[in-house]
Amino acid sequence: MQPFNYLIADTLDAALAEYAENRPVLKAGGIDLVDRMKERLATPAVVLSLGEVEVLRYIEPEGEGVRLGCLTTLADIGRSELLNSRYAALAESAGHAATPQVRERATLGGNLCQRPRCWYFRAIHFHCLKKGGATCFAVEGENQYHAVLGGGPCHIVHPSNCAPPLVAMEALFVVRRAGAEERVIPAREFFVLPSSALDRENVLAPGEILTEVRIPRAPDQSATIELREKQSFDWPLAMASVARVDGRRWNVCLGAVAPVPWVSEEAAEVLGSADITPELAARAGEAAAQAAQPMSDNGYKTQLIKVAVKRALLKAAGQEVPA
Amino acid sequence: MTWRPDNRLALENDGSRVDVRDKVTGAARYTTDYYPEGLLWASYIRCPYGKAFLRSSKLEAARAAPGVVEVELEKQEGTYPGDRLGHICAESRQALEQGLAALALEFERDRPATDIEREKKPLETFDEDPSVQEKQADLERIFSEAAHTLERTYQTQVQTHSCLEPHNSLVDYRGDHAIARQSTQATFSVRNELTEVLGLPPDKVEMHCEHVGGGFGSKFGLSPEGQLAAKLSKKHGRPVRVLMNREEEHLDNGLRPGSLQYMKLAIGPDGKLLGGRIHTWGSVGPVGGGGGTSNPSRYNFGIVAKTHQDVNLNSGFPRAMRAPGHPQGMFAVEMMMDELAEAAGMDPLEFRRLNETSDVRRAMLDVGAEQIGWHRRKPSGTWEGPLKRGFGIGVADWGNSPGEATITIHVYPNGNVEVLSGSQDIGTGFRTLLVDCVAHQLGIDRARVEAKVGVSTYPPGPGSGGSVTSRFVAPKALGAAEQARQDLRQRVAREWGVPADEVAAENGVFKHADRTMSWNEACKLIGQDRLTVTEKENGIFWKEPTGSEAVQFAEVEVDVETGIVRVKKVVALQNVGQAVNCKTVENQITGGVIQGISFALFEDRILNRQTGAMVNPNLEFYKIAGSRDIPEIVPIIWQSRPDAGVNSLGEPPVVPTPGAVGCAVANAIGVPVRRMPITPWRVLSALAERDGGAV
Ligand SMILES: Cc1cc2nc3c(=O)[nH]c(=O)nc-3n(C[C@H](O)[C@H](O)[C@H](O)COP(=O)(O)OP(=O)(O)OC[C@H]3O[C@@H](n4cnc5c(N)ncnc54)[C@H](O)[C@@H]3O)c2cc1C
Ligand code: SF4
Repeated sequence: MQPFNYLIADTLDAALAEYAENRPVLKAGGIDLVDRMKERLATPAVVLSLGEVEVLRYIEPEGEGVRLGCLTTLADIGRSELLNSRYAALAESAGHAATPQVRERATLGGNLCQRPRCWYFRAIHFHCLKKGGATCFAVEGENQYHAVLGGGPCHIVHPSNCAPPLVAMEALFVVRRAGAEERVIPAREFFVLPSSALDRENVLAPGEILTEVRIPRAPDQSATIELREKQSFDWPLAMASVARVDGRRWNVCLGAVAPVPWVSEEAAEVLGSADITPELAARAGEAAAQAAQPMSDNGYKTQLIKVAVKRALLKAAGQEVPA
Repeated sequence: MTWRPDNRLALENDGSRVDVRDKVTGAARYTTDYYPEGLLWASYIRCPYGKAFLRSSKLEAARAAPGVVEVELEKQEGTYPGDRLGHICAESRQALEQGLAALALEFERDRPATDIEREKKPLETFDEDPSVQEKQADLERIFSEAAHTLERTYQTQVQTHSCLEPHNSLVDYRGDHAIARQSTQATFSVRNELTEVLGLPPDKVEMHCEHVGGGFGSKFGLSPEGQLAAKLSKKHGRPVRVLMNREEEHLDNGLRPGSLQYMKLAIGPDGKLLGGRIHTWGSVGPVGGGGGTSNPSRYNFGIVAKTHQDVNLNSGFPRAMRAPGHPQGMFAVEMMMDELAEAAGMDPLEFRRLNETSDVRRAMLDVGAEQIGWHRRKPSGTWEGPLKRGFGIGVADWGNSPGEATITIHVYPNGNVEVLSGSQDIGTGFRTLLVDCVAHQLGIDRARVEAKVGVSTYPPGPGSGGSVTSRFVAPKALGAAEQARQDLRQRVAREWGVPADEVAAENGVFKHADRTMSWNEACKLIGQDRLTVTEKENGIFWKEPTGSEAVQFAEVEVDVETGIVRVKKVVALQNVGQAVNCKTVENQITGGVIQGISFALFEDRILNRQTGAMVNPNLEFYKIAGSRDIPEIVPIIWQSRPDAGVNSLGEPPVVPTPGAVGCAVANAIGVPVRRMPITPWRVLSALAERDGGAV
C-alpha cells in the first residue's frame, strides 16, 4: 500500500465540505477501498473516513416506509426485526452477503458504491478498458462470472447484493453535496451502464455522498434468491429480488448478471399484478432470461436467472422453495 | 534383573492438542512473529504473465526509493506467471512495496501455453510405446472377450496448496554462525541447505520452526524464500525476511498438477475387471515434469497398458501436494468404477467388493455402507423433484515402511518430563503425539510432559512428507519412555533394597509388596541433574504395519435446476494402525475430507488464455470450502488388528473424497460430470449435453 493521509470526519457537514473541496477518497467500512489500495488499484493521497459519523447509522421507520443511514452495516440490516419482517428481500440479501466479519464492517452506502469484482479489473497487470486501456479481457478470456445482460463494451456484473432488492422495492437514494440541495434519485436510476460511463458505476458526481436510502413504502410481498457456488464467503452467480408495492405490479430485479442491478421489464410484463402460481413464476423466469446474451463461458447464468426469478416469486408468495 | 518391556501403546486417548491454548490465544509463535533488530525485508521481482519479455523498468527510480537497499534484475524473460526475474531488498515492508511500485515493469507479451488439452500429444502417439506394444495381444483378447468395454476421459484441475501461513523465512547471518527461522516441513533439510548458501558448518547454523500454518507438501527444502533471505543476510550482515503474499503463494509455491485421464477398460460377464488401456497427461511447469497420476490404482484392474505424458505449460511448477498424484487419480478411477458398474447393471458397492484388492477395505466397505445408509441409494437419476440425492464411494491406502529418527527425553527430579525432537509440528499435532506417547508409557499425567520440537539442535527426525513423521518417531518416543521407566524402577528397587524385577511400575506408581512410591518421590531418586534417555531404534515398538486403508462414502444433494452441489454427509473410515490420540486422528481425517470436498467442488487455478496470468490469485475467486460448505463428517478410526503400530495418516484421508463426491453427483443427477471442479456450470452443462443441448 502507498502511504496516504488519513482524515476522520466527525460530522457529515465537515465530511461534505472536505470532500467537495479537496477531493479525498471516501471510506466507509473500507472493505472494498482498502482492498483496492492494497492491490495498488487505488493510490489516494488522502483518505476521508466517514466511520465516526455515527448519526449516519440508523434504521428508522417513517410513515409507511423506512429510512436507512448510509453507515448502517450489512449486519445491522440482517439483524433488524423490522427489516426481516417487512422488507425480507433486503434483510435476506444483506444478511447473507460475504461473511459475518465483513458484514459487521461493510456499510450500506459502501455496498451500493463498491467497485466491481471483475478479476481483470482487480489485477494491476490487466490494463483493461475500464481502467483506461484498450481491451476488455473478458471478451476473449475467462468470463464465467461476467455479465449476460447489458454488457458492452465492459462486461462487469454489479457487485452489490443490496441493490437489487432496493431497486425492486422502489427505494430512493438520497445524495448530498456541500452547499447544495439534497438530490433524491430512484434506485433504478442510480446505476449506469458501461455503455454510458466506463469509469464509474453510478450517477454520483464529484463531491457527492450517498447519505440515506429511503424505502417509501413497505412492499406487500418481497423476496430475494441468491444462487452461489459456495455457501460461505462467496458471491452469487445470479440473484433475483422481487417485490410488489402497494398492490401495483411486480418488480423483478436481477443481480450478478449485468453491469447494473437489472430490472426485468419482460418478467414484470408477464406478471402484471397477478397472484403468483408456480406456472406464472416459471413463465416470468423464462421471460427474464430471454434477453440474455451469454459470453463464451457464462451461458449457465441464463438458466440461473430463470430459477432465481421463479423461486424468488414463489418465496415472496409464501411457498417453500429449495434453499 | 530381567528386562520386562511394556510395549502397550496409548489407546483411545482423547486429550486435546497440547498447544491448543497457545494457538487459540495467539501465544503460539510463527516465523513472522519474530522481529530481530536491524531486520531487512526482501522479495522477488516477478513476471505476472505466462510468457513475456521485460521491455523496460525503472531500476534507478526503484533503487532511489526511500528505504530501498538493493534492486537486482537477473533475467529478462518470464516463462510462467510468477517467474522470478530478480529481487529487491528494503528497510521495511512499506519501502519494499514502494520500491516494487517504482520499478514500473513493462512487458512484451507472447502467446502462452495454458491449456493441457491443446498442448498435449495425441493419444495415438503413445500407442507406439513398447510397454503398450508388448501388451497389444493381451489387450486385443481382453476387448474381444469383454462383456462391456467403456472408453472415458476425465479431467482434474490444478489445485494450489493455499497454506494459511504463507511461505516465509527469516535468516540472521552473524559471521561465524547463523540463526534461521522458517515455516517448513523439514527443519533439517532447511538447515543443511543453509550451510551451503552461508558457507557455515552444520553446527554453526541453528534452524527454528515452532509452528507451521500448513504445508501440504509445499514446504520442503530451503525454497526460494530461504534462498533469498540467506543470500541477502550473508551479503548485508543483517537479518533478512522474505514473506510471500497470497498471489505469490498461488503462483510460485507449488501446486497439484492438473490431469487428463483416458481410460478404456473392459469387464467380463461376471463383472470382474479384465484390463485395458490407460493414458494420463499431467500439466506441469514450463520445463521439467512431476505431473504423474496414480491411475490405475487400488482395485484389481487386470492387464493394463499405462502410459503418461507430462505436458509443459507456461504455469507454475508442481510440488508434492498431500498424497501427490492420488486424489486426482482416484477421482478418475472411482468415476470409471461407477460407470462400469452401471454398464454391468451392478450396484457400485458390489462391483467394488468384487474387484477389491484388500480384505481390510472390503470389511470397511460393509461398515461404511451401513453408516451412510447405502440402502437409501436409488438408481442413478431417479429421485423426484429438483433436489436429487446421490451416494458415492472412494477408497485409498498408504505405505508404512519404518524409518530413522532419534528421541531424547529428560526426566527431572521434580517429576517433570521433556521430550525433544528436531522434527517440526506442521499443525498436525506432532507435539501432542510425543506427549501422549511418553506420558502413556510412563503412566503419568500428560500435563507433566512437555514436547520441544522444531529446532535443529534437538535430536534428528524426519521431514514431514509421505506421512512418515508419527510412524518414524512414535516407536522411539515410546522406547525412550520405556527406558526411563525401567531406570526409575531400578532406582526405586535399590532404595528399597529389593530386586528390580519385583517392583511393579504402573500408572506412574512404583509398588513392592505393601510399599508404594509415587512418581514424584521416585524422581527425587534421580542422582544427577536429570535423567536423560536417547532412543534411535524402533525396538519392540515397531509393529507389523497395516496398509493405512481408507474408505469413504459421500452423500450429496444436487439441485438440478441450478447445478449447485451440496455435500450432506461423508463417512470416512481410516485405518491408522494404532491411534495415539483420537482427537488429532479424527482431525486429520476430517481435514482430509474437507480438502477433498474443496478440490472436488471449488478450487481451481484459472489462467487467462491470452496472457497466461492467473485471474484468481487470491482466496476470493480461488474458492475454498467454507464453514457452510462442510457437511456432517463421521470419522471412523479403523483398527484392523489389535496389535498394530503407529501408521500413516496425513495423506490417505484426502485421497478417496473427490472420487466419492464425483460418484455421488453422478448418481444424483443421472449423468457423470467428468471434469472437476464440479461447479454449477459443469453440472448444468453435463445435464444439457445429455438432453442434447448446450449451456
Ligand atoms: C470475501 C468477500 C465477499 C463478499 N461478498 C459479497 C456479497 O456476496 N454481496 C455483496 O453485496 N457484497 C459482498 N462483498 C462486498 C462487501 O459487501 C463490500 O465491499 C462492502 O459492503 C463495502 O462497504 P464498505 O463500507 O466497506 O465500503 P468502502 O470500502 O468503505 O467503500 C466502497 C466504495 O464506496 C465509496 N463509498 C462508500 N460509502 C459511500 C457513500 N456513502 N457515498 C458515496 N460513496 C461511498 C467509497 O469511496 C469506495 O469507493 C464481499 C466482500 C468480500 C471481501
Ligand atoms: S469486464 Fe470491464 S472491468 Fe472487466 S476486463 Fe472488461 S472492461 Fe475491464
